[in-house]
Amino acid sequence: MKQRVRLTCALIDRPGTLLKVLEQIALAGGNIISIVHNREIITSGYVPVSINVEFPDPQSLERARKGIEGVGVPVMGAESLEKEMAMAIVVGGVRLDSLLSELESRGYRVIESSTRGYGEALTVKLLMEVPADRISKLHDDLASIAERHGALAISEV
Amino acid sequence: MKVFVNGYGFLGKLLARELMDHRVSGVKLVGVARSSGYVHRDEGLSPDDLKGDLSDSEVFTKGSALSLIREGAFDVLVELTPTNLPSAEPGLSNIRAALSNGIDVVTANKAPIALRYRELTDLASSAGKLLLFDSTVGGGIPLITLRRLCMRGDDLLSIRGILNGTTNYILSRMQFEGLTFELALREAQNLGIAERDPSLDVNGYDTALKLLILANSLMGLDRGLEDVRVAGITRVTQEAVAAARESNMSVKLIGSVDGEGKLLVAPRLVKANDPLCVHGTLNAVTFRFRIARDLTLIGHGAGEPTVSSLLNDLHQVVEFRLRGATSA
Repeated sequence: MKQRVRLTCALIDRPGTLLKVLEQIALAGGNIISIVHNREIITSGYVPVSINVEFPDPQSLERARKGIEGVGVPVMGAESLEKEMAMAIVVGGVRLDSLLSELESRGYRVIESSTRGYGEALTVKLLMEVPADRISKLHDDLASIAERHGALAISEV
Repeated sequence: MKVFVNGYGFLGKLLARELMDHRVSGVKLVGVARSSGYVHRDEGLSPDDLKGDLSDSEVFTKGSALSLIREGAFDVLVELTPTNLPSAEPGLSNIRAALSNGIDVVTANKAPIALRYRELTDLASSAGKLLLFDSTVGGGIPLITLRRLCMRGDDLLSIRGILNGTTNYILSRMQFEGLTFELALREAQNLGIAERDPSLDVNGYDTALKLLILANSLMGLDRGLEDVRVAGITRVTQEAVAAARESNMSVKLIGSVDGEGKLLVAPRLVKANDPLCVHGTLNAVTFRFRIARDLTLIGHGAGEPTVSSLLNDLHQVVEFRLRGATSA
C-alpha cells in the first residue's frame, strides 16, 4: 500500500549532503513530491529539510530511513501525509483548552469541538484530522490524556 | 456416553431438560449437581430425579460432586458453576479434576478458561481429553467453532465486538429512550437482564474475560487479565450518548484485540452502518481474516441460546469419541 510521508532530516550545511539523502530515497523506490530546504534556518550547524515522498509500501520507507541514517543524516520524523477524520468524545471535568493543546502536540488537528453539560458530566465532542499512521494510536493517546484529567475517552472503533 | 451437569441454575436446568429429551444421540444424563448436593444414577437419571430442587430425589447426596469427578464416574463433565473472580473456583478445580481423571469437559464458565487457558489446554492435551468452551463467549453464536472448523486455512488478524448483552441493553436504552445510566441499569435489573450485583458487566470485566478467551484460543496469544486495558460504561453520560447519536453513531462497549496483540475493553463510537452496531441484548463480533477479510456474526449472547452452543460442544465430544473408537 502506497504511503505519502513528510520526511524531516537534519542536514549538515555542506554541499552535496542533500543529494546523498535524495539518492537514498530513490534507491528505496521513493517518488519525491516536494522539498522544502530552508538554508536560512541553521541550528547548531544543521539545516532542517522537509521532503514529501510517496513510497510504494511501508518497507520502502524503512529502507529509505535506514539508508539516510547510513550516510550520516539523522531522520527527525516521518509524518504521514494521508489524513483521516475521526470523532471522539471526552466525558468528565476536563479543561477544553488544555485538552486541545495536548491533542495538537501529539499531531492531532482538532477541526471542531463542542461541549455540553458541566462538571463531572461535561462532555466534549471532537472532530479531528488524524495522520493515517496514527489512527490506531488515537484511542491510547486520547485515553491517556483523559485519564490524567480524570475523564473518560470514547473514540471511534 | 455418560454426562454429568455440574451447576443446576438457569442453564443447567435447560440443558438437563434437552438431554432428558435425548437431543444428543448417544448421550445419557447420569447426574446433575448444585451447590448443596447432587443426584447421580449410573444407569441414567429419571425425570423424577429432576423435580423441585433435587433434594426430593431418592438419590440426592449432600455435598460437592468433586468426589464423583475424582472417581471418574462419568465420561463428560458439563461445568456450569458461576464465574468467580479472581479465584475461578470451584470451576477451576472441577475442570482440573475431570481432565486428570479421564473425563472430557464442556463448560460455559468463563473464569477458568480466561484465567488458566494454557494450563487447562495443556492438561487436556496431555490427558488426550477434550476441553470445549464455545458457550463461554457469545452465547449461541458459534465463534470458536467457526474459527476452528471453517476458517482453518486463513490467518485471524484482529477481533472486535460487543461481547456483553447487559451493557449493550443499557447503552441502547440510554440512546433510544434518553435514560440515565442508573435508570437503564435499574430497568435491566428489573427485567432480569442485569444481575443484582452488575459490577462484572458494567465495569467491563465480563467483556475482558471473553476477550481473553477469544484472543488466547483463536489468536494463539498467552495473555492474562492484567494485560487487558479495561474501562466500563458507568461513566457514560446521556450527553455523550446524545452527542454520538447526532453524528449517526452509537456508544458501545467494545472488546478488541489488534494485530499487535493489544487487548482493550472500552466504550467506543460505532457508526450506525457498521455491522457491529447492534442494539438491545444482542452481541456482535467482527473477525478480520487475512484472506476472507471481515466476517461479522450477530446473535444472542446469553441465556437460553447458550444451550445451543453447549449441545453443539456435546455433539463434538460424541463425534470425537466415535472417531477414537473407529481408529482404535
